[in-house]
Amino acid sequence: MEYMAQIIAGLIFIVMFGLIITEKIERHITTLMCGAFTLVVVFGICMRSASAIWKTLNFGSIFKLGFWYGAEESSSAGINWATIIFIAGMMVMVEGMAAAGFFRWLCMKIASLVHYKTMHIFVTFMLMSAFLSMFIDSITVIMFLAAATVELAQMLKFNPVPMILSEIFCANLGGSATMCGDPPNIIIGTSLGYSFADFISNTGIAAAISLVFSVLFFYFSYRRELVSDGGVYTGKLPDPKDAIKDKRSFTVSTVIFLCAVVLLVTHAQTGLSVATIGVFTAAATLAAAGKRIPYILKKVDYKTLLFFIGLFVVVGGLEETGALEVISYFIGKISNGNRYLMFGIIIWISAFASAFVDNIPFAATMLPVIKSLSAAQGVDLSSLAWALSIGTDIGGSATPIGASANVVGTSVAARGGYPISWARYCKRSVPATVIVLVISTVYIFVRYL
Amino acid sequence: MSKQVLISIGREFGSGGHLIGEILSKKLDLPLYDNNLLREITTKKNLDHAELERYDELPKLPFFSRTIRGFSNSPEENIANLQFEYIKTLAGSGESFIIVGRCGEAVLKDFDCLISIFINADLEAKVDKISKEHNLSRTEAELMIKQRNSARKAYHNYYCTDKWGDSRHYDISLNSTRLGIEGSAELLEAYIRARMALM
Repeated sequence: MEYMAQIIAGLIFIVMFGLIITEKIERHITTLMCGAFTLVVVFGICMRSASAIWKTLNFGSIFKLGFWYGAEESSSAGINWATIIFIAGMMVMVEGMAAAGFFRWLCMKIASLVHYKTMHIFVTFMLMSAFLSMFIDSITVIMFLAAATVELAQMLKFNPVPMILSEIFCANLGGSATMCGDPPNIIIGTSLGYSFADFISNTGIAAAISLVFSVLFFYFSYRRELVSDGGVYTGKLPDPKDAIKDKRSFTVSTVIFLCAVVLLVTHAQTGLSVATIGVFTAAATLAAAGKRIPYILKKVDYKTLLFFIGLFVVVGGLEETGALEVISYFIGKISNGNRYLMFGIIIWISAFASAFVDNIPFAATMLPVIKSLSAAQGVDLSSLAWALSIGTDIGGSATPIGASANVVGTSVAARGGYPISWARYCKRSVPATVIVLVISTVYIFVRYL
Repeated sequence: MSKQVLISIGREFGSGGHLIGEILSKKLDLPLYDNNLLREITTKKNLDHAELERYDELPKLPFFSRTIRGFSNSPEENIANLQFEYIKTLAGSGESFIIVGRCGEAVLKDFDCLISIFINADLEAKVDKISKEHNLSRTEAELMIKQRNSARKAYHNYYCTDKWGDSRHYDISLNSTRLGIEGSAELLEAYIRARMALM
């Protein structure tokens, strides 16, 4: 029956991944359905274990003090409520900022500060994309940045596609630098008890080095394409202030954002967990929103939160049945004690997989694998975690479907009348991804091995 | 024309649906939108027409596309939505027109003044027409018809709940082989005028 549970858990996982890829059913419904199957068939029928169900649902963790306060994050298997609460809180905060006009104001302010010069906008937008994505989900960052880029391109007569592609790449890179920048990092951080400072001093350094090379790469790759077509915009240039919809909300949302950044940066010192920070930012945003509360709550992406819940249950099924130990055993056997090979496999396989499939389920699945690998092979778990984080975050940049920011960025461009084909996307983004992966691999080899 | 009328023509490749649309456009003095719709959009927005035309009326590639929070990376899907929005805006402005393909009957279903038509034809007639027009052998023409209709079906059925060519979802479904192109156009003109009289 134990093997049967493993096989069924594996089959449910494969079906879930297949359904996510084909998009026949909305992905949150897919993961919730597969999660329900895991609870009933794997835990209920095959394992006859009520404790496995309870452990995977993980409700108990929310009522422990350590969940809200203390250096240790939830490390138990199953639904990672800290990740879900944090992401929900940040979603509320970001919607509050967007409703106040913060992102459009920031884009237009930077464009005006560089006097609407195309190449200056190009470089500053790449840096802004990387910086904002360290704290805010890259979907929101790219949604506004790409829209502002299309608007500026139509005024200043340049092709926005190279700029949007570079912004997407830098958003993914920026996201890899911190614990809250990319969902795989939030999952890794909350599950293994790593702090914001842990990420910034490990993956953050790799991202900073890579950002320098990436900006140079994109600058020299796209500089000819970004030359204005000669047409001169004779209309009135946008005033950044016009983007602000309500001054009070704008000031309040900016202050809340800055507080959230400070709380995240210092959470190892204050002892506040990311779940607490998520609740605080959401509560502060809603308290300040007044009449706009229903609007902000309506804009929150509940489907993504449900997607996470279902996903954690399915991965919990794999973990509880021991199915993932097969993968870690396999990696251990191939590397045969060679740590360079083991880390190489983690980085490059994660990157390759993340280029084609959603990196969130991939990271959630690989996390128990690296835990098991660390225990079996005696390898430092944190080093494996940084390798996994870099592989999944960076690999996603290679193709238009590798990461959420890529999908949103290419979609915003196409809606503006600038469709981006796979060939167009991959022509520069694949070499850039390979360059960053090589840099990161060397970094990990030198620093941790 | 005082009252607004919107005519959508769905068609099998090689059925002469487009020609029928052109004849109706002249007879009823209505503008006809087909692939020129994209031209109008690109001209208005100062966009590269050739770049957008590559994705016109094509189904999205399932394994190469992802959708996140309503955003899709598929150029085909985005270009289709760009056209759907434009068609709705045109109809919303009160303009009367004929739209060929582009899921017209589904996009405009909320307009009471919509008359939806689907044109099919016998395989033999389609093969004759396509092999002459494109200077192809019979086998090549058959293959081309099969591929184009398969793409149109996939395109339509992705965006619409109702299935492409299913007569239950059109006001009138007509086999153009029976009356020929001119005859079919005449019959449809009479039908449209009768419907307009009731509007």
